[in-house]
Amino acid sequence: MAKQFEYTQAEKIRDAFAEHGVRYLFLGKSGAVLLGFPDTTQDADVFLEKSEANGTAAVAALRELDFALTDEQASEIRRGKDFVQLKNGPFDLDLVFAPDGIERFSDAWSRHIEIEGFFVCHPDDIIASKAATNRVKDRESLPRLRAFRDYWLRRRP
Amino acid sequence: MKTEPDPDPSERAAWETEFEAASRRPLKVRWRYAFIRTYKPVLDDAEYRSFETTADYRDWCEKNLPSWLGYGQAV
Repeated sequence: MAKQFEYTQAEKIRDAFAEHGVRYLFLGKSGAVLLGFPDTTQDADVFLEKSEANGTAAVAALRELDFALTDEQASEIRRGKDFVQLKNGPFDLDLVFAPDGIERFSDAWSRHIEIEGFFVCHPDDIIASKAATNRVKDRESLPRLRAFRDYWLRRRP
Repeated sequence: MKTEPDPDPSERAAWETEFEAASRRPLKVRWRYAFIRTYKPVLDDAEYRSFETTADYRDWCEKNLPSWLGYGQAV
């Protein structure tokens, strides 16, 4: 079983992605936590721009972080399979190339927020994605997440 | 589309208090409080999975995961 996802590991992702020029955004509850949402989650979701260059950069960064990717798995990430679930590294990570509810990476990037060097989806995109997914666990978290979005917008400088 | 009921005012006020408290914590602390690791049957039993489309992933969750994990559209 993967270990707890520590903040120092999040910093390592941030730094490795920056070093390799990976175009990414934290999405889902992990993104909301970065924005200040007090809640619990078990893994992190990153929305990656779908391009071979970005997939190649992501593979290099993930290998540097000790994700044990086979050549076949690396190839799948390079070509941007829509959803890749990694539990073969120091923490669990979902790579999402085509999240529900967000049309294009460039749209989300144009609204993104930067928190201490982490690139994060706007709360509206996090909510849109969860609403479009319509899973039980997302429906349960949406009212509180919407309340947080309203609070966050009021507090935003 | 919004389908969930609105929280009642007292619940919303309690949430706002939590948001305020969270806003005073450094990111490192918020992160530590947020990540709770528990075993999720089936989901955690493979080191790597990939899906050609997000719809394929949703379909796999619906068909393979225990409904109580909440990854499907119905309990």
